[in-house]
Amino acid sequence: MTDATQGGPIRTKGKSILELDTRTKKRNAAEARFKGYGIAAICVSLFFLVSLLVTIVSNGVPAFTQTFVNLSVTLDEAKLDKNGNRNIDEIKKVSTFGYKPLINAALVSATDGIETELTDKDLDKILSASAGAVVRDHVIANPDMIGETVEFRLLTSSRVDGYMKGRVVREDLARDKNLDAAHLDLIDVMAERGAVQRTFNWDFIFGSDASESRPEQAGIGVSMLGSFFMMLVVLALALPIGVAASIYLEEFAPQNRFTDLIEVNISNLAAVPSIVFGILGLAVFIQFAHLPQSAPIVGGLTLTLMTLPTIVISTRASLKAVPPSIRDAALGVGASKMQAVFHHVLPLAMPGILTGTIIGLAQALGETAPLLLIGMVGYIATNYPEGVTSGFLDPNSAMPAQIYEWAKRADPAFYERAWGGIIVLLLFLLTMNLIAIILRRRFERRW
Amino acid sequence: MEDMIQMDRAMSTEQDIKISANGVQVYYGENHAIKDVNVEIQDKMVTAFIGPSGCGKSTFLRCINRMNDTIDICRVEGDIRIDGEDIYDARVDPVQLRAKVGMVFQKPNPFPKSIYDNVAYGPKIHGLARNKAELDEIVEKALRRGAIWDEVKDRLHAPGTGLSGGQQQRLCIARAVATEPEVLLMDEPCSALDPIATAQVEELIDELRQNYSVVIVTHSMQQAARVSQRTAFFHLGNLVEFGDTDKIFTNPEDPRTESYISGRIG
Ligand SMILES: Nc1ncnc2c1ncn2[C@@H]1O[C@H](COP(=O)(O)OP(=O)(O)O)[C@@H](O)[C@H]1O
Ligand SMILES: [Mg+2]
Repeated sequence: MTDATQGGPIRTKGKSILELDTRTKKRNAAEARFKGYGIAAICVSLFFLVSLLVTIVSNGVPAFTQTFVNLSVTLDEAKLDKNGNRNIDEIKKVSTFGYKPLINAALVSATDGIETELTDKDLDKILSASAGAVVRDHVIANPDMIGETVEFRLLTSSRVDGYMKGRVVREDLARDKNLDAAHLDLIDVMAERGAVQRTFNWDFIFGSDASESRPEQAGIGVSMLGSFFMMLVVLALALPIGVAASIYLEEFAPQNRFTDLIEVNISNLAAVPSIVFGILGLAVFIQFAHLPQSAPIVGGLTLTLMTLPTIVISTRASLKAVPPSIRDAALGVGASKMQAVFHHVLPLAMPGILTGTIIGLAQALGETAPLLLIGMVGYIATNYPEGVTSGFLDPNSAMPAQIYEWAKRADPAFYERAWGGIIVLLLFLLTMNLIAIILRRRFERRW
Repeated sequence: MEDMIQMDRAMSTEQDIKISANGVQVYYGENHAIKDVNVEIQDKMVTAFIGPSGCGKSTFLRCINRMNDTIDICRVEGDIRIDGEDIYDARVDPVQLRAKVGMVFQKPNPFPKSIYDNVAYGPKIHGLARNKAELDEIVEKALRRGAIWDEVKDRLHAPGTGLSGGQQQRLCIARAVATEPEVLLMDEPCSALDPIATAQVEELIDELRQNYSVVIVTHSMQQAARVSQRTAFFHLGNLVEFGDTDKIFTNPEDPRTESYISGRIG
């Protein structure tokens, strides 16, 4: 039909493949440009990531260290136990205020020989307001030590700590009635002598929040527990409910208007702003069900509502990803629908389900807005919850709420702690993502 | 001697009707996919369903073990009986039926588990084995019937998905026979296989005929001619012609059958 088949040796010589035609050149240029865009985009995001990490680390790391003074306090019997009978009830009657003279005396002897214009009474401004309580607690715990001289490791005030960290300079103190430049001269000498040290501060990780005037004492530990108890609630409720709902919708439910409606609504729920879940939690769990305010159980329930759609969507996606031939195979040998799902489909969907669950949990862990509405943001003066029930029912905060609370306060020392809190939170999220990756690797099966 | 007995039995049961379908209609929503099909499938024989793509072969095959139940929009009417019992009777549990009517699919679909577990799964859920030794025995027997025992006996605990396509399909056949079915349905079991694997599976189908009633859907007329004794030709949802394979291929009655086997429709 064509010229070629008619037999002649006519073979028109085409263009050489050794030289590029204009179309090819254009296409190559477009490809090169696209690659350039891609690399530029990656560079920009890397830049943001790196600057984010650098900012967080440089601002947050100082929060993990704290300045302490080693002080030998003489536990004067005349002041602490007038009758000398070591009656614990009488010892308890001495308030932290009563310990002030002892600490002042200790400071005077510690600064012995240092030139200073400060009066003896003013010396204790270098200490945290918590110093009296620390000594008092020690005495109440060990009444037999009254009369002895005991070595204490006491927190310095946040200004002194800020000075040691380079946050506070002498000029700042001109308008500051909490501390004078003279105190800093004192600190310089004491630091040289080794009496003032900046060391790692476990209390930041394990301690509780402190009042606004004592940033040096504040820690994230108790709100960490609050977050932990909330995550327990979320895991215990959202995982089984979410997985059961997804399995039913994906594998058993008939395809009709009603299930379509449910499906659309679940996707919509995932996009609902989290603060809406907060107000729902307030209305349902606190005002209607009368659960205690500010309690991790309420926070957990509210976050469960928020996490459910995420888990349902990821579970359904991973169930969908299991090839239908596996279901056919199981049904074909006479497995019931439930056996097919639980013996074959679910194990194959497991990595996806676990990843989705952990991502949902991580989201819940970092959520602040809904907690605002159920009273989990604020100064929580409680210490560690006593036992599991109190963990769920006593007022508590959560890590992101605690960070928000610190960031809100005026003292720059709290600002530093907010950054430190962010590091802790990020470490948790990183760990969770790592677990997700490990689980996915372990459960992944090829076919 | 044993061959004789088997021959004998094959002869005596030749006229036994295993499956009879009467006035079967299948609808996918509005789509009328199977139109008034009547067919009688005999025991210990291979029956082939042929016909152009989309004519409803798979749909009809899936009616026989009620796999169509899993499709929401699918509606089956009419009457299908196995050994005289209506399989669409309200008292029939499709799960029990599927243990009796095994199925092999177009694409080999072993579970992503070991070869052993693939075969043992059916017997396990149906409680066919009382202990590990019995289960081992069942697995070995099934793998022998699937003509794959010699190839896998040293790696029973290797994943079934690691086998070649032809081996996977024979594994699936072994898995289907492990539950001691009476009927084996095969939906284009060789369409994903190369010619050598196809030949092996065809040989296997011929052997399976001794124990089961085999129904095979195929798009290959040569295959139908090679393995089946009876052939049904479907066209646009109708059963056009049904009879002895030899007759269908040499002397078809219906002009549509004739044009299909001579390659004019398809
Ligand atoms: N799951 C399904 N849902 C809707 N329609 C289907 C489904 N399966 C098959 N059909 C329709 O039924 C008809 C017959 O299909 P099928 O039985 O698969 O044909 P064959 O196996 O002969 O190629 C086709 O028109 C097809 O579109
Ligand atoms: Mg088909």
